[in-house]
Amino acid sequence: MIRFVGLCKSFGTKSVLDGVDVTIGKGEVFFIIGQSGVGKSVLIKHLIGLLRPDRGEIYLDDQEISRLTERQYFAVRRRCGMVFQHSTLFDSLTCLENVALPIRKHKHLGKKKALVEAHKRLEQVHMEEFAQTFPAALGDGMRKRVAIARTLTMDPEFVLFDEPTTGLDPVSARRVDVLIRELADRLHVTCVVVSHDLTSIFSIADRIVMLYKGKVRLLGTRDEFRRSADPIVRQFITGSAEGPME
Amino acid sequence: MTESLAQLEVAAKQPGRVSRGAERVVRRIGRSVVGIAQQTGGILVLLGKIVRRFFPPDIDYYELKRNLHKMGNRSLPIIGLTSVFVGAIMVVQASAYVQQFSATAFVGWGAGYVILRELGPILIALMFSGRVGANNTAELGTMVVTEQIDGLRSLAIDPISYLIVPRFLSMIGMLFILTVFGNLIALCGAALFGQLTLGIEWRVFFHGITELLKPWDVYVGLIKSLVFGLIIALSSCYFGLAVRGGAPGVGRAVNASVVASAVGIFVSDYFLTFLVD
Repeated sequence: MIRFVGLCKSFGTKSVLDGVDVTIGKGEVFFIIGQSGVGKSVLIKHLIGLLRPDRGEIYLDDQEISRLTERQYFAVRRRCGMVFQHSTLFDSLTCLENVALPIRKHKHLGKKKALVEAHKRLEQVHMEEFAQTFPAALGDGMRKRVAIARTLTMDPEFVLFDEPTTGLDPVSARRVDVLIRELADRLHVTCVVVSHDLTSIFSIADRIVMLYKGKVRLLGTRDEFRRSADPIVRQFITGSAEGPME
Repeated sequence: MTESLAQLEVAAKQPGRVSRGAERVVRRIGRSVVGIAQQTGGILVLLGKIVRRFFPPDIDYYELKRNLHKMGNRSLPIIGLTSVFVGAIMVVQASAYVQQFSATAFVGWGAGYVILRELGPILIALMFSGRVGANNTAELGTMVVTEQIDGLRSLAIDPISYLIVPRFLSMIGMLFILTVFGNLIALCGAALFGQLTLGIEWRVFFHGITELLKPWDVYVGLIKSLVFGLIIALSSCYFGLAVRGGAPGVGRAVNASVVASAVGIFVSDYFLTFLVD
Protein backbone atom coordinates (compact mmCIF):
# COMPACT_ATOMS: atom_id res chain seq x y z
CA MET A 1 0.00 0.00 0.00
CA ILE A 2 1.13 3.53 -0.80
CA ARG A 3 -0.06 6.49 1.28
CA PHE A 4 0.64 10.19 0.73
CA VAL A 5 -0.32 12.27 3.77
CA GLY A 6 -0.58 16.06 3.56
CA LEU A 7 2.11 16.24 0.88
CA CYS A 8 3.29 19.75 0.02
CA LYS A 9 5.86 20.74 -2.57
CA SER A 10 6.86 24.13 -3.96
CA PHE A 11 9.37 25.12 -6.60
CA GLY A 12 10.55 28.62 -5.73
CA THR A 13 7.39 30.65 -5.10
CA LYS A 14 5.17 28.27 -7.08
CA SER A 15 3.24 25.84 -4.91
CA VAL A 16 2.62 22.63 -6.87
CA LEU A 17 1.27 20.22 -4.25
CA ASP A 18 -0.65 21.72 -1.38
CA GLY A 19 -1.62 19.02 1.08
CA VAL A 20 -2.31 15.95 -1.05
CA ASP A 21 -3.81 12.93 0.75
CA VAL A 22 -4.03 9.76 -1.35
CA THR A 23 -4.02 6.05 -0.50
CA ILE A 24 -3.32 3.45 -3.20
CA GLY A 25 -4.17 -0.18 -2.50
CA LYS A 26 -2.13 -3.25 -3.47
CA GLY A 27 -2.75 -4.66 -6.94
CA GLU A 28 -4.72 -1.60 -8.06
CA VAL A 29 -4.46 0.19 -11.38
CA PHE A 30 -4.58 3.72 -10.02
CA PHE A 31 -4.71 6.72 -12.34
CA ILE A 32 -3.58 10.25 -11.44
CA ILE A 33 -5.17 12.80 -13.73
CA GLY A 34 -5.29 16.56 -14.02
CA GLN A 35 -4.16 19.45 -16.18
CA SER A 36 -0.57 19.80 -17.37
CA GLY A 37 1.66 21.26 -14.66
CA VAL A 38 -0.73 20.34 -11.84
CA GLY A 39 1.89 18.12 -10.14
CA LYS A 40 0.98 14.57 -11.22
CA SER A 41 4.54 13.58 -12.17
CA VAL A 42 5.86 15.51 -9.17
CA LEU A 43 3.65 13.38 -6.90
CA ILE A 44 4.93 10.02 -8.19
CA LYS A 45 8.55 11.17 -8.25
CA HIS A 46 8.21 11.70 -4.48
CA LEU A 47 7.48 8.02 -4.00
CA ILE A 48 10.90 6.93 -5.27
CA GLY A 49 12.81 9.84 -3.75
CA LEU A 50 13.60 11.71 -6.96
CA LEU A 51 11.96 14.68 -5.24
CA ARG A 52 11.64 15.35 -1.52
CA PRO A 53 8.52 16.90 0.02
CA ASP A 54 8.56 20.28 1.78
CA ARG A 55 5.96 18.91 4.22
CA GLY A 56 3.94 15.75 4.62
CA GLU A 57 4.66 12.04 4.78
CA ILE A 58 4.84 9.11 2.38
CA TYR A 59 4.19 5.57 3.55
CA LEU A 60 5.09 2.40 1.68
CA ASP A 61 3.47 -0.54 3.50
CA ASP A 62 3.40 1.46 6.75
CA GLN A 63 7.08 2.47 6.51
CA GLU A 64 7.57 6.24 6.39
CA ILE A 65 9.98 6.78 3.50
CA SER A 66 10.10 10.50 2.82
CA ARG A 67 13.09 11.10 5.12
CA LEU A 68 15.26 8.23 3.85
CA THR A 69 18.75 8.99 2.56
CA GLU A 70 19.59 8.52 -1.13
CA ARG A 71 21.26 5.17 -0.34
CA GLN A 72 18.32 3.99 1.80
CA TYR A 73 16.01 4.81 -1.11
CA PHE A 74 17.67 2.13 -3.26
CA ALA A 75 15.67 -0.56 -1.44
CA VAL A 76 12.45 1.36 -2.13
CA ARG A 77 13.37 1.79 -5.80
CA ARG A 78 13.91 -1.95 -6.22
CA ARG A 79 10.29 -2.42 -5.12
CA CYS A 80 8.89 0.56 -7.09
CA GLY A 81 9.92 0.72 -10.73
CA MET A 82 9.22 3.79 -12.81
CA VAL A 83 8.62 4.18 -16.54
CA PHE A 84 9.32 7.80 -17.44
CA GLN A 85 7.39 9.88 -19.94
CA HIS A 86 10.42 10.13 -22.25
CA SER A 87 11.58 6.55 -21.58
CA THR A 88 15.03 7.68 -20.32
CA LEU A 89 16.82 4.84 -22.08
CA PHE A 90 20.59 5.32 -22.09
CA ASP A 91 21.67 6.63 -25.48
CA SER A 92 25.12 5.05 -25.29
CA LEU A 93 23.74 1.51 -24.81
CA THR A 94 21.78 -0.70 -27.21
CA CYS A 95 18.23 -1.72 -26.26
CA LEU A 96 19.55 -5.09 -25.10
CA GLU A 97 22.28 -3.49 -22.96
CA ASN A 98 19.73 -1.06 -21.52
CA VAL A 99 17.55 -3.93 -20.33
CA ALA A 100 20.57 -5.96 -19.19
CA LEU A 101 21.92 -3.15 -17.00
CA PRO A 102 19.57 -3.53 -13.98
CA ILE A 103 19.81 -7.34 -14.30
CA ARG A 104 23.60 -7.17 -14.16
CA LYS A 105 23.59 -4.71 -11.25
CA HIS A 106 20.88 -6.25 -9.07
CA LYS A 107 20.90 -9.94 -9.89
CA HIS A 108 24.71 -10.03 -9.87
CA LEU A 109 24.89 -11.92 -13.15
CA GLY A 110 27.83 -11.77 -15.54
CA LYS A 111 27.41 -9.75 -18.69
CA LYS A 112 26.62 -12.75 -20.93
CA LYS A 113 23.96 -14.21 -18.63
CA ALA A 114 22.44 -10.75 -18.13
CA LEU A 115 22.18 -10.29 -21.90
CA VAL A 116 20.42 -13.66 -22.30
CA GLU A 117 17.95 -12.70 -19.56
CA ALA A 118 17.48 -9.23 -21.13
CA HIS A 119 16.69 -10.83 -24.50
CA LYS A 120 13.86 -12.80 -22.87
CA ARG A 121 12.51 -9.56 -21.37
CA LEU A 122 12.59 -7.88 -24.78
CA GLU A 123 10.64 -10.81 -26.24
CA GLN A 124 7.88 -10.17 -23.68
CA VAL A 125 7.33 -6.69 -25.15
CA HIS A 126 7.91 -7.88 -28.76
CA MET A 127 11.09 -5.85 -29.16
CA GLU A 128 13.61 -8.68 -29.61
CA GLU A 129 14.33 -7.79 -33.25
CA PHE A 130 15.54 -4.35 -32.10
CA ALA A 131 17.87 -5.75 -29.44
CA GLN A 132 21.04 -4.40 -31.07
CA THR A 133 19.50 -1.05 -32.03
CA PHE A 134 20.39 2.14 -30.18
CA PRO A 135 17.39 3.96 -28.62
CA ALA A 136 17.89 7.07 -30.78
CA ALA A 137 16.97 5.00 -33.85
CA LEU A 138 13.59 3.95 -32.42
CA GLY A 139 10.22 5.64 -32.36
CA ASP A 140 8.52 6.75 -29.11
CA GLY A 141 6.30 3.70 -28.84
CA MET A 142 9.19 1.26 -29.25
CA ARG A 143 11.32 3.15 -26.76
CA LYS A 144 8.50 3.00 -24.25
CA ARG A 145 8.18 -0.76 -24.66
CA VAL A 146 11.91 -1.18 -24.07
CA ALA A 147 11.66 1.11 -21.02
CA ILE A 148 8.82 -1.02 -19.65
CA ALA A 149 10.89 -4.19 -20.21
CA ARG A 150 13.83 -2.57 -18.39
CA THR A 151 11.68 -1.56 -15.42
CA LEU A 152 10.11 -5.02 -15.17
CA THR A 153 13.52 -6.71 -14.93
CA MET A 154 13.57 -5.72 -11.26
CA ASP A 155 10.27 -7.62 -10.68
CA PRO A 156 8.81 -4.62 -8.86
CA GLU A 157 5.75 -4.76 -6.64
CA PHE A 158 4.74 -1.25 -7.72
CA VAL A 159 5.23 0.30 -11.16
CA LEU A 160 4.82 4.02 -11.75
CA PHE A 161 3.97 4.97 -15.33
CA ASP A 162 4.40 8.62 -16.30
CA GLU A 163 2.15 9.26 -19.31
CA PRO A 164 2.79 5.83 -20.86
CA THR A 165 0.52 6.36 -23.88
CA THR A 166 1.40 9.98 -24.71
CA GLY A 167 2.75 10.26 -28.24
CA LEU A 168 1.77 6.71 -29.20
CA ASP A 169 -0.53 5.72 -32.03
CA PRO A 170 -3.93 4.39 -30.84
CA VAL A 171 -3.01 0.72 -31.40
CA SER A 172 0.29 0.98 -29.48
CA ALA A 173 -1.48 2.96 -26.75
CA ARG A 174 -4.10 0.23 -26.28
CA ARG A 175 -1.34 -2.42 -26.21
CA VAL A 176 0.30 -0.53 -23.36
CA ASP A 177 -3.09 -0.40 -21.59
CA VAL A 178 -3.44 -4.16 -21.96
CA LEU A 179 0.08 -4.65 -20.60
CA ILE A 180 -0.67 -2.50 -17.54
CA ARG A 181 -3.94 -4.32 -16.87
CA GLU A 182 -2.19 -7.71 -17.19
CA LEU A 183 0.51 -6.65 -14.76
CA ALA A 184 -2.14 -5.95 -12.15
CA ASP A 185 -4.38 -8.94 -12.88
CA ARG A 186 -1.78 -11.66 -13.46
CA LEU A 187 1.20 -10.56 -11.39
CA HIS A 188 -0.67 -8.45 -8.77
CA VAL A 189 1.63 -5.51 -9.45
CA THR A 190 0.29 -2.16 -8.27
CA CYS A 191 0.29 0.21 -11.23
CA VAL A 192 0.19 3.96 -10.65
CA VAL A 193 -0.42 5.73 -13.94
CA VAL A 194 -0.15 9.44 -14.68
CA SER A 195 -2.21 10.10 -17.78
CA HIS A 196 -4.37 12.48 -19.82
CA ASP A 197 -5.55 9.68 -22.06
CA LEU A 198 -9.29 9.43 -21.40
CA THR A 199 -9.59 6.14 -23.29
CA SER A 200 -6.95 4.55 -21.03
CA ILE A 201 -8.46 6.07 -17.92
CA PHE A 202 -11.95 4.81 -18.58
CA SER A 203 -10.92 1.39 -19.81
CA ILE A 204 -8.38 0.07 -17.30
CA ALA A 205 -8.43 2.24 -14.13
CA ASP A 206 -9.63 0.72 -10.87
CA ARG A 207 -9.59 4.09 -9.15
CA ILE A 208 -8.74 7.61 -10.24
CA VAL A 209 -7.61 10.72 -8.44
CA MET A 210 -7.91 14.14 -10.01
CA LEU A 211 -5.54 16.87 -8.87
CA TYR A 212 -6.49 20.51 -9.27
CA LYS A 213 -4.61 23.52 -7.94
CA GLY A 214 -2.35 21.32 -5.82
CA LYS A 215 -5.16 19.49 -4.06
CA VAL A 216 -7.24 16.36 -4.55
CA ARG A 217 -10.38 17.36 -6.44
CA LEU A 218 -11.99 13.93 -6.64
CA LEU A 219 -10.90 10.41 -5.76
CA GLY A 220 -13.08 7.55 -6.88
CA THR A 221 -13.88 4.79 -9.33
CA ARG A 222 -14.52 5.22 -13.05
CA ASP A 223 -18.26 5.28 -12.42
CA GLU A 224 -17.94 7.88 -9.71
CA PHE A 225 -16.03 10.08 -12.15
CA ARG A 226 -18.62 9.53 -14.88
CA ARG A 227 -21.43 10.44 -12.46
CA SER A 228 -19.62 13.43 -10.90
CA ALA A 229 -21.52 16.72 -11.08
CA ASP A 230 -18.40 18.76 -10.21
CA PRO A 231 -18.05 21.21 -13.14
CA ILE A 232 -14.22 21.05 -12.97
CA VAL A 233 -14.24 17.25 -13.18
CA ARG A 234 -16.87 17.30 -15.91
CA GLN A 235 -14.91 19.78 -17.99
CA PHE A 236 -11.76 17.64 -17.70
CA ILE A 237 -13.36 14.32 -18.57
CA THR A 238 -15.32 15.77 -21.46
CA GLY A 239 -12.27 17.67 -22.67
CA SER A 240 -14.29 20.84 -23.12
CA ALA A 241 -12.55 24.16 -23.83
CA GLU A 242 -15.37 26.06 -22.13
CA GLY A 243 -15.83 25.83 -18.38
CA PRO A 244 -14.63 26.90 -14.96
CA MET A 245 -11.12 25.40 -15.25
CA GLU A 246 -8.30 27.95 -15.29
CA MET B 1 21.23 81.50 -15.19
CA THR B 2 19.62 78.50 -16.93
CA GLU B 3 23.09 77.10 -17.68
CA SER B 4 24.25 77.21 -14.05
CA LEU B 5 21.00 75.65 -12.91
CA ALA B 6 21.63 72.79 -15.32
CA GLN B 7 25.19 72.43 -14.01
CA LEU B 8 23.87 72.30 -10.44
CA GLU B 9 21.43 69.63 -11.47
CA VAL B 10 24.19 67.54 -13.02
CA ALA B 11 26.37 68.01 -9.93
CA ALA B 12 23.49 66.97 -7.70
CA LYS B 13 22.92 63.89 -9.80
CA GLN B 14 26.55 62.80 -10.09
CA PRO B 15 27.13 61.48 -6.53
CA GLY B 16 24.09 59.25 -6.87
CA ARG B 17 25.22 58.09 -10.26
CA VAL B 18 28.67 57.24 -8.94
CA SER B 19 27.31 55.35 -5.94
CA ARG B 20 24.81 53.44 -8.09
CA GLY B 21 27.59 52.55 -10.54
CA ALA B 22 29.87 51.46 -7.69
CA GLU B 23 27.04 49.43 -6.20
CA ARG B 24 26.53 47.65 -9.51
CA VAL B 25 30.24 46.82 -9.76
CA VAL B 26 30.39 45.58 -6.14
CA ARG B 27 27.24 43.53 -6.70
CA ARG B 28 28.70 41.96 -9.87
CA ILE B 29 31.99 41.14 -8.08
CA GLY B 30 30.05 39.71 -5.14
CA ARG B 31 27.95 37.54 -7.44
CA SER B 32 31.10 36.22 -9.17
CA VAL B 33 32.77 35.45 -5.83
CA VAL B 34 29.66 33.62 -4.56
CA GLY B 35 29.45 31.72 -7.89
CA ILE B 36 33.10 30.64 -7.70
CA ALA B 37 32.68 29.63 -4.04
CA GLN B 38 29.58 27.58 -4.93
CA GLN B 39 31.35 25.84 -7.80
CA THR B 40 34.46 25.13 -5.74
CA GLY B 41 32.29 23.77 -2.92
CA GLY B 42 30.30 21.66 -5.39
CA ILE B 43 33.48 20.20 -6.89
CA LEU B 44 34.84 19.33 -3.42
CA VAL B 45 31.54 17.68 -2.45
CA LEU B 46 31.68 15.63 -5.67
CA LEU B 47 35.27 14.62 -4.87
CA GLY B 48 34.11 13.50 -1.41
CA LYS B 49 31.32 11.40 -2.95
CA ILE B 50 33.78 9.80 -5.39
CA VAL B 51 36.31 8.99 -2.63
CA ARG B 52 33.54 7.36 -0.56
CA ARG B 53 32.85 4.93 -3.45
CA PHE B 54 36.35 3.45 -2.95
CA PHE B 55 35.61 2.28 0.64
CA PRO B 56 34.64 -0.46 -0.15
CA PRO B 57 35.23 -0.26 -3.91
CA ASP B 58 31.94 0.32 -5.74
CA ILE B 59 32.97 0.65 -9.39
CA ASP B 60 31.29 -0.55 -12.57
CA TYR B 61 34.16 -2.32 -14.37
CA TYR B 62 32.31 -2.58 -17.71
CA GLU B 63 31.84 1.17 -17.74
CA LEU B 64 35.47 1.64 -16.66
CA LYS B 65 36.68 -0.47 -19.60
CA ARG B 66 34.41 1.38 -22.06
CA ASN B 67 35.60 4.78 -20.82
CA LEU B 68 39.27 3.80 -20.84
CA HIS B 69 38.90 2.86 -24.50
CA LYS B 70 36.80 5.92 -25.43
CA MET B 71 38.95 8.45 -23.61
CA GLY B 72 42.36 6.89 -24.13
CA ASN B 73 42.62 4.90 -27.36
CA ARG B 74 40.55 7.34 -29.37
CA SER B 75 42.67 10.29 -28.18
CA LEU B 76 45.94 8.74 -29.38
CA PRO B 77 45.91 10.15 -32.96
CA ILE B 78 45.18 13.76 -31.96
CA ILE B 79 47.66 13.69 -29.06
CA GLY B 80 50.30 12.11 -31.33
CA LEU B 81 49.81 14.72 -34.05
CA THR B 82 49.92 17.63 -31.60
CA SER B 83 53.00 16.26 -29.87
CA VAL B 84 55.03 15.90 -33.08
CA PHE B 85 54.55 19.59 -33.78
CA VAL B 86 55.22 20.60 -30.17
CA GLY B 87 58.65 18.96 -30.50
CA ALA B 88 59.16 20.54 -33.92
CA ILE B 89 58.30 24.04 -32.67
CA MET B 90 60.81 23.66 -29.83
CA VAL B 91 63.62 23.00 -32.31
CA VAL B 92 62.50 25.64 -34.83
CA GLN B 93 62.35 28.32 -32.11
CA ALA B 94 65.77 27.36 -30.76
CA SER B 95 67.47 26.90 -34.13
CA ALA B 96 68.63 30.52 -34.61
CA TYR B 97 70.47 30.57 -31.23
CA VAL B 98 71.76 27.00 -31.61
CA GLN B 99 73.38 27.93 -34.92
CA GLN B 100 74.69 31.26 -33.54
CA PHE B 101 76.40 29.62 -30.53
CA SER B 102 77.03 26.21 -32.16
CA ALA B 103 75.24 24.63 -29.21
CA THR B 104 73.89 21.58 -31.04
CA ALA B 105 74.83 19.29 -28.15
CA PHE B 106 72.35 21.10 -25.90
CA VAL B 107 69.33 20.90 -28.20
CA GLY B 108 68.31 17.49 -26.86
CA TRP B 109 68.65 18.65 -23.27
CA GLY B 110 66.75 21.91 -23.92
CA ALA B 111 63.90 20.23 -25.78
CA GLY B 112 63.71 17.39 -23.24
CA TYR B 113 63.73 19.75 -20.25
CA VAL B 114 60.92 21.96 -21.58
CA ILE B 115 58.82 19.14 -23.06
CA LEU B 116 59.06 16.71 -20.14
CA ARG B 117 58.68 19.23 -17.31
CA GLU B 118 56.31 21.82 -18.73
CA LEU B 119 55.12 21.98 -22.30
CA GLY B 120 54.23 18.31 -22.81
CA PRO B 121 51.99 17.87 -19.75
CA ILE B 122 50.31 21.28 -20.19
CA LEU B 123 49.56 21.07 -23.90
CA ILE B 124 48.45 17.44 -23.73
CA ALA B 125 46.19 18.28 -20.76
CA LEU B 126 44.65 21.20 -22.68
CA MET B 127 44.05 18.97 -25.72
CA PHE B 128 42.59 16.28 -23.45
CA SER B 129 40.34 18.82 -21.75
CA GLY B 130 39.06 20.09 -25.11
CA ARG B 131 38.43 16.64 -26.51
CA VAL B 132 37.57 14.37 -23.58
CA GLY B 133 36.54 16.82 -20.83
CA ALA B 134 34.16 18.80 -23.05
CA ASN B 135 32.68 15.59 -24.43
CA ASN B 136 32.21 14.23 -20.92
CA THR B 137 30.42 17.39 -19.74
CA ALA B 138 28.15 17.39 -22.80
CA GLU B 139 27.31 13.71 -22.36
CA LEU B 140 26.54 14.00 -18.65
CA GLY B 141 24.64 17.27 -19.18
CA THR B 142 22.48 15.69 -21.87
CA MET B 143 21.81 12.76 -19.54
CA VAL B 144 20.66 15.23 -16.88
CA VAL B 145 18.31 17.22 -19.14
CA THR B 146 16.81 14.07 -20.69
CA GLU B 147 16.26 12.57 -17.20
CA GLN B 148 18.62 9.65 -17.88
CA ILE B 149 20.32 10.28 -14.53
CA ASP B 150 16.91 10.12 -12.80
CA GLY B 151 16.28 6.97 -14.85
CA LEU B 152 19.43 5.42 -13.35
CA ARG B 153 18.41 6.44 -9.84
CA SER B 154 14.92 4.99 -10.39
CA LEU B 155 16.59 1.66 -11.26
CA ALA B 156 18.36 1.78 -7.86
CA ILE B 157 21.70 2.32 -9.61
CA ASP B 158 23.99 4.89 -8.04
CA PRO B 159 24.99 7.43 -10.75
CA ILE B 160 28.23 8.25 -8.93
CA SER B 161 29.53 4.68 -8.89
CA TYR B 162 28.10 3.75 -12.31
CA LEU B 163 28.84 6.92 -14.29
CA ILE B 164 31.22 9.21 -12.44
CA VAL B 165 33.81 6.93 -10.80
CA PRO B 166 34.70 5.11 -14.08
CA ARG B 167 35.06 8.47 -15.88
CA PHE B 168 37.10 9.92 -13.02
CA LEU B 169 39.53 6.98 -13.03
CA SER B 170 39.69 6.81 -16.83
CA MET B 171 40.51 10.49 -17.20
CA ILE B 172 43.27 10.49 -14.59
CA GLY B 173 44.77 7.21 -15.80
CA MET B 174 44.51 7.96 -19.49
CA LEU B 175 45.90 11.50 -19.26
CA PHE B 176 48.93 10.04 -17.44
CA ILE B 177 49.45 7.41 -20.16
CA LEU B 178 48.80 9.91 -22.96
CA THR B 179 51.35 12.28 -21.40
CA VAL B 180 54.00 9.54 -21.43
CA PHE B 181 53.07 8.73 -25.04
CA GLY B 182 52.86 12.39 -26.08
CA ASN B 183 56.20 13.26 -24.46
CA LEU B 184 57.91 10.44 -26.36
CA ILE B 185 56.34 11.53 -29.66
CA ALA B 186 57.26 15.19 -28.97
CA LEU B 187 60.88 14.19 -28.30
CA CYS B 188 60.94 12.15 -31.51
CA GLY B 189 59.42 15.12 -33.35
CA ALA B 190 62.09 17.40 -31.93
CA ALA B 191 64.85 14.93 -32.89
CA LEU B 192 63.44 14.57 -36.40
CA PHE B 193 63.15 18.31 -37.01
CA GLY B 194 66.56 18.81 -35.33
CA GLN B 195 68.08 16.52 -37.93
CA LEU B 196 66.13 18.05 -40.83
CA THR B 197 66.73 21.72 -39.96
CA LEU B 198 69.99 21.72 -37.97
CA GLY B 199 71.55 18.44 -39.04
CA ILE B 200 71.75 17.18 -35.46
CA GLU B 201 72.12 13.42 -35.33
CA TRP B 202 69.54 11.42 -33.30
CA ARG B 203 72.37 9.93 -31.24
CA VAL B 204 73.61 13.40 -30.25
CA PHE B 205 70.09 14.60 -29.55
CA PHE B 206 69.19 11.69 -27.24
CA HIS B 207 72.65 11.74 -25.65
CA GLY B 208 71.83 15.31 -24.50
CA ILE B 209 68.62 14.02 -22.90
CA THR B 210 70.09 10.97 -21.15
CA GLU B 211 73.24 12.68 -19.93
CA LEU B 212 71.93 16.07 -18.82
CA LEU B 213 68.36 15.39 -17.65
CA LYS B 214 67.66 13.87 -14.25
CA PRO B 215 64.88 11.29 -13.60
CA TRP B 216 63.17 13.94 -11.44
CA ASP B 217 62.67 16.08 -14.58
CA VAL B 218 60.56 13.25 -15.99
CA TYR B 219 58.69 12.63 -12.72
CA VAL B 220 57.76 16.32 -12.34
CA GLY B 221 55.88 16.27 -15.64
CA LEU B 222 54.15 13.02 -14.77
CA ILE B 223 53.08 14.28 -11.33
CA LYS B 224 51.65 17.32 -13.07
CA SER B 225 49.72 15.15 -15.52
CA LEU B 226 48.07 13.31 -12.61
CA VAL B 227 46.99 16.61 -11.03
CA PHE B 228 45.76 17.97 -14.38
CA GLY B 229 43.79 14.74 -14.92
CA LEU B 230 42.16 15.17 -11.51
CA ILE B 231 41.21 18.78 -12.34
CA ILE B 232 39.76 17.90 -15.76
CA ALA B 233 37.86 14.89 -14.38
CA LEU B 234 36.32 16.83 -11.50
CA SER B 235 35.39 19.97 -13.42
CA SER B 236 33.96 18.09 -16.42
CA CYS B 237 31.88 15.77 -14.22
CA TYR B 238 30.74 18.57 -11.90
CA PHE B 239 29.60 20.94 -14.67
CA GLY B 240 27.94 18.04 -16.52
CA LEU B 241 25.91 17.01 -13.48
CA ALA B 242 25.06 20.64 -12.60
CA VAL B 243 23.39 21.38 -15.95
CA ARG B 244 20.10 23.26 -15.73
CA GLY B 245 17.90 24.60 -18.50
CA GLY B 246 17.91 22.22 -21.47
CA ALA B 247 20.19 22.43 -24.51
CA PRO B 248 21.45 26.00 -23.83
CA GLY B 249 22.36 24.81 -20.33
CA VAL B 250 24.48 22.00 -21.81
CA GLY B 251 26.31 24.54 -23.99
CA ARG B 252 26.97 26.80 -21.00
CA ALA B 253 28.20 23.84 -18.94
CA VAL B 254 30.65 22.70 -21.64
CA ASN B 255 31.99 26.24 -21.88
CA ALA B 256 32.33 26.55 -18.09
CA SER B 257 33.99 23.13 -17.84
CA VAL B 258 36.65 23.89 -20.48
CA VAL B 259 37.38 27.33 -18.98
CA ALA B 260 37.55 25.96 -15.42
CA SER B 261 39.85 23.12 -16.52
CA ALA B 262 42.19 25.50 -18.36
CA VAL B 263 42.35 27.92 -15.43
CA GLY B 264 42.83 25.01 -13.03
CA ILE B 265 45.65 23.58 -15.17
CA PHE B 266 47.59 26.87 -15.32
CA VAL B 267 47.07 27.82 -11.66
CA SER B 268 47.97 24.36 -10.38
CA ASP B 269 50.99 24.26 -12.72
CA TYR B 270 52.28 27.48 -11.16
CA PHE B 271 52.00 26.12 -7.61
CA LEU B 272 53.24 22.64 -8.54
CA THR B 273 56.34 24.10 -10.12
CA PHE B 274 57.18 25.72 -6.76
CA LEU B 275 56.19 22.68 -4.72
CA VAL B 276 58.10 20.01 -6.60
CA ASP B 277 61.33 21.95 -7.20
